[in-house]
Amino acid sequence: MICCVRTPHPSLVAAWLMAPALRGRPLILGGLAHERASVTTASAEARAQGVVEGMSLNQAQQFAPDAVFQPVDEEATARVRQSLLLTLHHFTPDVAPGEDPGCVFLRLDRLVLRWPDRAQLLAAIGRAIDAAIRVRPAIGVASSMFVSKVAAAHATAAAPVIVEKEKMRDFLARYPIDVLPLDDDLREYLELLGIKTIGRLQAISRPAFRRQFGQKALVVYDLALGDDRRRLRPWRPAVRIEESEPLEPPVDNTQALQFIARALAERVSASLLSQGLGTRAVRITLNQESVPALMIEARFAYPMTTAGELFDGIRPRLLRASIVAPLERITLRAARLEAAYVRQPGLLIRRDGFKESIADAVARLQEEYGPSLVQRAEVNSDAAPLADHRILWKPA
Amino acid sequence: MPDRLQQAITVLQTRFGSAAPRPAAPPCPARPTGIPELDALTGIGGWPVGRLSLLAGPRGSGKRTLAQRSIAAASREGPVAYIDMPGRLDPEFLSHFDARLDHLLVVRPKSIKEAMASVRVLARAGVDFIAIDLPRARSSGLDAELPHLLHRAAEADCTLLLIHDADAEDAIRYYASLILSFQRSAWVFRRDGDLEGLQVDAAVVKNRLAAPGLTSRWIIPYPIP
Repeated sequence: MICCVRTPHPSLVAAWLMAPALRGRPLILGGLAHERASVTTASAEARAQGVVEGMSLNQAQQFAPDAVFQPVDEEATARVRQSLLLTLHHFTPDVAPGEDPGCVFLRLDRLVLRWPDRAQLLAAIGRAIDAAIRVRPAIGVASSMFVSKVAAAHATAAAPVIVEKEKMRDFLARYPIDVLPLDDDLREYLELLGIKTIGRLQAISRPAFRRQFGQKALVVYDLALGDDRRRLRPWRPAVRIEESEPLEPPVDNTQALQFIARALAERVSASLLSQGLGTRAVRITLNQESVPALMIEARFAYPMTTAGELFDGIRPRLLRASIVAPLERITLRAARLEAAYVRQPGLLIRRDGFKESIADAVARLQEEYGPSLVQRAEVNSDAAPLADHRILWKPA
Repeated sequence: MPDRLQQAITVLQTRFGSAAPRPAAPPCPARPTGIPELDALTGIGGWPVGRLSLLAGPRGSGKRTLAQRSIAAASREGPVAYIDMPGRLDPEFLSHFDARLDHLLVVRPKSIKEAMASVRVLARAGVDFIAIDLPRARSSGLDAELPHLLHRAAEADCTLLLIHDADAEDAIRYYASLILSFQRSAWVFRRDGDLEGLQVDAAVVKNRLAAPGLTSRWIIPYPIP
């Protein structure tokens, strides 16, 4: 089951957090009333007076003369969104931000053991969000992202809407076709045919719908039946793994540099291991005395985790680096982080017998000496009488 | 080792302790060459694992053909690499010997240094068998690289096979555990006049793992396309 958690626009939430007195008052975000800009979002009170998103601020002022106009605080908005996602990430890693800014999806399937009672889980989610951003969310639960989003749009903070799989079709039937992602042409066409609710749309057979509106429109038809094939792409919290060591007195010999780099690699590796992550690139910053800092990057074919692997990658680059002055500081940063579990277990090798260590070695050799150093050959004996045409060489 | 000899050694070891006779070299695992005659000639049943073997001889003596047959046999077991400095590897020839080309990495280095770095890295990464085809010209810098190379190969249980057209240098001869010298004694033709293969005389010039000095003569057939 997928849960859609819907909160007001994060910009609104940010404005309320900074000025709680604005709650319950018509609030319009996008700029000051006299500015030539459009409405980014508006509070429910302003909407009740006819303000909609995208409307010019001038027009919005005419609809809601007593509303408060504010520019959007992008930084605060991003913090609110981050906070919302992080709060939900504590429940499950299967969290994905929705296309609407205040909408987040969670997959609940893995939470059944910990939270056997779904009502308690939804209440806990509501409480956690309230504690984080001072807003009670509306929650909808269904088997697909689309239906859960519709359910959340019609839920209230006090009463979540839960749609069981077998009731999805009936649930959607009563809503107007506007809840579907229709383009203007399709909407107009459907209205001309007198199809104003999803129930009427469901009454048409799939082949007939395809004949009339084409293959592309079938996505809309499937959504009308509750069938949403989009996959929930999990969001990952931003992680920064960096280790740094000041060198006092400044170091000017490679032995000492290697020793320190090894120690830093061990610290970076410990951080990676503790978070179950691997890195595909290590960025080394060498701060030199009275000379601009030197940046070196070591890339890996697979996400690396252990200190030995990291140091093996950075050592040759350190030795080749053109260091012209004693070093004052060395910094190692793990970039391009990935879950370490994507690595190949030692017992499982690819069908062609190549271990990931060999693939990594080949990648390193190619990076150092050029892609044509290590090649693979393919023979197509029927291709041509000339040997050069029968044998295909390509970089490994 | 015959049972009676083993019994005699056991008796001597009981009587004299560390002063008793013992094998000159510990048993070394071997990787089959793919040619039974060659396996017999090496004395240990194939190329020694974790060591360097040298195939020496003039051009046209069949050593590269044998090396490629060994690579084909080894590729059926796991990942292999061919360091092809002269650019003479023929994948089509390998495919006639049922080589698994998806297991084969062909390295084409521009210098000895690149070649040796590639061997070190690949051996460490887990490539089981590496054939190094050196150019005819003098391979400067090889003698300094060989000890590191052999250390890596021994650590990783990687079999190294070196093919050299010219007379191998002293350093290679010193570090190689097995040296096979090849001489072509005759071309073998079919009745219709097509070349069928070559007859070679092979001699074990050096063998640290079994008795040296063995010689053998056999016909290496060329694959019929």
